[in-house]
Amino acid sequence: MKRIINFKLNGEDVEELVMDNMTMLDFLRKQMHLTGTKKGCGEGECGACTILLDGAAIDSCLMLAAEADGHEVITIEGVQQNGVLHPVQQEFIDKWALQCGFCTPGMIMSALSLLHENPNPTEQEIRDGIAGNLCRCTGYAKIVEAIDAAAKILQKEA
Amino acid sequence: MAMKSKEYYAEIESVYKKPEDYELAGKGNAYVRIDAEAKVTGKAIYTADVDLPGMYYCKLVHSPYAHANILSIDFTEALKVPGVKGVLTGKDFPEGHNLGNPEAFKELADKEPLCRKKVRMIGDEVAAVCATTEEAAEEAAALVKVEYEVLPPVLDPFDAMDPDAPAIHYPNAGDGTASNLSIFTVMSAGDPDKAFAEAYYTDKHHYKTQEMVHAAIEPHGAVAKYENGEWTVWSTTQGAYVSRYWIAWGLGVPESQVRLIKPMVGGGFGGKLDVFAHELCPCKFAQRTGHPVKCILDRDEVFMCTRTRHPISFEIEAAVSKEGKLLAKRCKHILDGGAYGGSGIAANTLSLICATFPYKVENLDMIARRPYTNHPASGAMRGYSACQVHFAHEIHMDEIANDLGIDPLEIRRLNEITPYYTGPTGLEFTSCKFDECLVACADAIDWEHRDKYPVGSGEAVGLSGSGFMSGTGFPVLVTPHYCSSSTVVRLNREGYAVVFSGANDIGQGCDTVMTMIVAEELGLRMDEVKLVQSDTTTTPWDAGSFGSRVTFLGGNACRRAVGDAKLKLLKHWAEEWGCKPQDIKMKDHRVFIEGDAEKNISYNEACYGYEEKNFGRCVAGVGSFAHEGDKDVYVKNVGNYATAYSFSASAAKVKVDMETGQVELEDFVFGHDCGRPLNIRAVEGQIEGSVLLGFGFSCFEECVYDKEGHHMNPSFRDYRFPTALDMPKIKTIVCSEFDPEGPMGAKEAGEGSTAPVGSAIGNAVNYATGLTLRELPITPERLWRALKEHEKTGKTSFGAEDLETKFDNMPPLPKRY
Repeated sequence: MKRIINFKLNGEDVEELVMDNMTMLDFLRKQMHLTGTKKGCGEGECGACTILLDGAAIDSCLMLAAEADGHEVITIEGVQQNGVLHPVQQEFIDKWALQCGFCTPGMIMSALSLLHENPNPTEQEIRDGIAGNLCRCTGYAKIVEAIDAAAKILQKEA
Repeated sequence: MAMKSKEYYAEIESVYKKPEDYELAGKGNAYVRIDAEAKVTGKAIYTADVDLPGMYYCKLVHSPYAHANILSIDFTEALKVPGVKGVLTGKDFPEGHNLGNPEAFKELADKEPLCRKKVRMIGDEVAAVCATTEEAAEEAAALVKVEYEVLPPVLDPFDAMDPDAPAIHYPNAGDGTASNLSIFTVMSAGDPDKAFAEAYYTDKHHYKTQEMVHAAIEPHGAVAKYENGEWTVWSTTQGAYVSRYWIAWGLGVPESQVRLIKPMVGGGFGGKLDVFAHELCPCKFAQRTGHPVKCILDRDEVFMCTRTRHPISFEIEAAVSKEGKLLAKRCKHILDGGAYGGSGIAANTLSLICATFPYKVENLDMIARRPYTNHPASGAMRGYSACQVHFAHEIHMDEIANDLGIDPLEIRRLNEITPYYTGPTGLEFTSCKFDECLVACADAIDWEHRDKYPVGSGEAVGLSGSGFMSGTGFPVLVTPHYCSSSTVVRLNREGYAVVFSGANDIGQGCDTVMTMIVAEELGLRMDEVKLVQSDTTTTPWDAGSFGSRVTFLGGNACRRAVGDAKLKLLKHWAEEWGCKPQDIKMKDHRVFIEGDAEKNISYNEACYGYEEKNFGRCVAGVGSFAHEGDKDVYVKNVGNYATAYSFSASAAKVKVDMETGQVELEDFVFGHDCGRPLNIRAVEGQIEGSVLLGFGFSCFEECVYDKEGHHMNPSFRDYRFPTALDMPKIKTIVCSEFDPEGPMGAKEAGEGSTAPVGSAIGNAVNYATGLTLRELPITPERLWRALKEHEKTGKTSFGAEDLETKFDNMPPLPKRY
């Protein structure tokens, strides 16, 4: 069965016809061609498909596209505003907080959600905030460092 | 004697920038990754992101049995699924075109693209289905009916060697010798028997490591299209040329008709070296249907059907002087090869080579056997053989030290390899800062005061050391190709340069390093250097990302290529200016003689002047680098394996919960000799990732099988590796010294750095608990059981208890086939 959904995607109103059983992850990647959201496991374990649903981090592989109806979704493609990188993105670059980059979009979405809820996190809180995002390359050290640096920049800006 | 490459490239190397003039290399974090912005914005394209019009999808049908004959395959129901466009079996690929590593023996190409008559592991691919959607392909694949005759599975490597064991690949010799060996290696030096007879101290212990997987977050996959009689394949590969070689062979077509493009790769760690059915089947379907075809593995398929790290069983004997000097070693390493050879063949010889350093042992008697079993195929994995070997040998080192009453740090320093030492089997070491690594780690972890944690108190520190080849000289998969890396550089008079590099970036950052090297030599900004990478049509040959060869070999190749171009340019201007090419500098987009305002032109003018004089011919350079070793190393087992060697030491501080067996890694120090670091953040990143892999190896990760060979934990939920909450802060100490062979003095930093982690943690846990654990992983359950048994019976040694009998009853080796 299919249905029409209306929601806000990366700041734009969209109306789409979706299969009832299609996951949000498949919808984003296959129907909207937003391939920045990655599929690492498809069972909610790796966090590579993390998006923001009404500002909160969620595994898009565990959500149906139909559930987005009436809500606001932000993917990694919607983080950069007017051609300017978000401080979290910039700090990931400056601190070498990525290697293969496959977990990076999901990691950044989790970091955004964390900093939205807790603008001044401790190191332990940062680690807790990305505990659902697996990274096999970095050992997480530089990711924690980048999120901490971004938090400080955002606080200054605020 | 043949000309050495050093002589061949001597003139080119004469115009290399001098270390004191470096502006990018080694200046800390002077530059960022060239792929970083694409990766933080989601714009980076990985294989699964390649989307072509009219694309079909492929799904594979896997064996549910570890060992069985295929009786029949029935596609009737599968073909009824709407959208299905075709099916494949083994018969659709040319017979005898098996995949693998026939470098040493042709029988080692042992994997059919799809199994024809027999399956050898759960997950073996027997058929493939193609459909208009991924969902339809999945539904149809599940409806393919395969009838099997189930055979007894052989799951233990010692059982596999039994002369009466069922034959997994080739018939048993029938003469009472060991069966099912994919390869065996004997390595010896000096007079070990004499050394053992005369030694003050001898011992014999057994150790065991487990099966683990690479677990790159990006699953394996490929996209193929067929146009104008030529395939174009995008694949999650660590070596575009290697994959192309085997895809062409598997399809039975010339290499000229297959173009392989490596997009961004989401981590490899050795798991993406081999060629797989998920690459060959889309190619066949693309040809049959005229549509592009995509095949991306599900996570459980990645766990079950790709590659694993070899579990190794060890028997180690040492002969040691009263003072702690290692006199001789006898080792037997049994590697569970799983069902196939492929990238796993080299593990056997490597396990012995790794055991010959980082300590000097002049008398050696070593043997390694790699039996086939019906487990998933073991392959290359980061810290290839070194992780397992340095776990066993470094735990053993502490056992020797404690038996002799010598400080474990001091026994290591007493035996450590020193700069420019040549080992008894022919390894030729160059720069070596191993001693500095050991001392730096010991100091940082406060080794001197380690007695503040009494043995058995639940807290302790542990130490270990290791070494690794920097720029392996030998192919793990390709034959008969030379294991080189090649680069072409073109200087453009419009103010930039283009690098065509065969080196394969899989996340480690070699694309950035290659760009930096060219920018450094030409005095350009990094954004004025454009990189074209890993595409068999546009970039030159490279053997792949493995064996810590990329920065070392690829970096040297890149420097020789830019050097070649630079020499041509500077020779022209030297003639114009009446000087030597070496007198001219390139910096800040200028070409000039220092202190001479007249002889100072822009990069653009310099290129233009050259072209004008040479009838419009552009300035271009070609370079290559390969270790000049003996390619028969797998057979002869002597000689020098690599151009240089890296060294590492680790120190761990652990806290063990004596109630639950949980190990907390509180502090970790890593000392690494990577020569001159080309970017300190990149080196730290490699080391921090290595510690994650090593911590996972020692305390978390293990593939668990039932008695039929079913993988019991093929998901990230049940196969757990460290999260951000599990990882400690890591202190990296780079003990650097310019290596004469490395690119700008660098050695490897990505692979050898995994090797000492497990044993540092293992040694720390042993002191914290007062037990001797000789088997990995040290999971809470295993440690809890050991602690409880110790309370009851006083037993202190745990793990690998079955090995003594197994080693004693091993059948003799067959004659070399």
